[in-house]
Amino acid sequence: MTGLTPFKRDRFLVVPVKLLIWLTTLISLLVMTALADAAGGGPGLSTLETSILARETEAHELIRLAYSETQTAERNPQKERSPQEVKETGNEGTPLGADPWGDEEVSVDSIPDPLEPMNRAFFVFNDKLYFWFFKPVGTGYKMVVPEVGRICIRNFFTNLIMPIRAISCILQGKFEGFGIELIRFVVNSTAGFLGFQDVARDALNYPIQDEDLGQVLAFYGIGPGLYLNLPFLGASSLRDTAGWVGELYLNPLDYMVSDFWPNVGFRSFDVVNKTSMRIGEYEALKKAALDPYVAMRDAYYQYRLNQIEK
Amino acid sequence: MLIMIAVASVSMAGGPTEAIRETTDKIIAILTDPSLKGPDQEPERARQIRKAVDERFDWEEMSMRTLARHWKDRSQSERSEFIRLFGSLLERTYLEKVESYSGEKVLYGDEKVEGDYGLVTVKIITKQDTEIQVQYRLKTKGAAWLVYDISIEGVSLVNNYRKQFSSILARSSYNDLVEKLRSKVEGKE
Repeated sequence: MTGLTPFKRDRFLVVPVKLLIWLTTLISLLVMTALADAAGGGPGLSTLETSILARETEAHELIRLAYSETQTAERNPQKERSPQEVKETGNEGTPLGADPWGDEEVSVDSIPDPLEPMNRAFFVFNDKLYFWFFKPVGTGYKMVVPEVGRICIRNFFTNLIMPIRAISCILQGKFEGFGIELIRFVVNSTAGFLGFQDVARDALNYPIQDEDLGQVLAFYGIGPGLYLNLPFLGASSLRDTAGWVGELYLNPLDYMVSDFWPNVGFRSFDVVNKTSMRIGEYEALKKAALDPYVAMRDAYYQYRLNQIEK
Repeated sequence: MLIMIAVASVSMAGGPTEAIRETTDKIIAILTDPSLKGPDQEPERARQIRKAVDERFDWEEMSMRTLARHWKDRSQSERSEFIRLFGSLLERTYLEKVESYSGEKVLYGDEKVEGDYGLVTVKIITKQDTEIQVQYRLKTKGAAWLVYDISIEGVSLVNNYRKQFSSILARSSYNDLVEKLRSKVEGKE
């Protein structure tokens, strides 16, 4: 009897709070998109659907254009040089030549960062959090738990959040990916001992489908909005944060372990386990960068673009 | 000896994948060489790796692409100083990455060639069983294919530095950038 009371209380508390975060993020995202459209002289919020449609045709046009350009470039690789490229390099004297797999577009635009002062503050916060908490804890954990065990635990949590990937596949019309995720879940949960082993990949060659709700939103033409560096969560964007909040509903962990503290416990365990495998990566980024904040922001942006393209 | 020369000339004439494979194999050979094991051999190991990397990476092209439109405002001596500093920063970063090599598998994927440009995709399987996609962008210089950019999981090194440099240059001067670069290289920061 007593065991049920906290369960109910937490559930009633957690759901509206989540809903509130989700709605606020979604609304601000829509407002941002509308503002961005208005600034560009485009349609406002009321015609969002048509704007998405227009963007889609625009995208098709761009793909067609890019394709025909590639063909010309193939026929004539040396003479092809877009004005953008010349502008970017600004170096007519010693031409760099066009980069046929051009990142030039990527290099020209970058993610808007109007909240930079706040983001930088949280960046410092996360930096301290890492060096003072997660790194020592992760290092200690690493010494106690052998690598094989940590890989199994990582696989378990990865397998658990299959619904996020499966639903994200479906929402993008990637039915093959959806099927692969379902098969992976069945195979790994049974033959893979509750997901500790990724037998679906090793034996059946069904790789994990790297999809999430942020990528779904991108698929429907929603841009990143603006860059966010959130406390505890790190680099993100408005769009990807909205995706992350939506994913809270698709995470089976929240339905299996709905009490607040045990839930936090499981999540922290997952984070520490993952951290233990990545010790040194952040240090390397910091050491190589002249401005670690900008390096992180750009790396996040490029990484997401690459994920979305796939 | 003759065979070795023959092999070397074949790989020179080969495509960009051959170029990457040659350098990768060379570096793995240095890292796994028992006579170069141990901390006391560290300087010699670093020297040999640096040499292998220098042969394959085009620091000038990289510097040009990262400084982008700011490159043309630089004098010849500024340029060569920048190439030296930026080159050694990248070299050091690369060296630290490969020093932790512990038998990761390297799988060679697609290769694309368009005129003077080549794109090689490589998959690295880590000890922790994750796949990392690495792409090398190369350009021919004389007979050799030289690397001018590396992308790891879609994050291009040149683009990443270009963003950092342009952000610094937008706020302060070129001299300040060079100072920052120098203190990074000298390990003050």
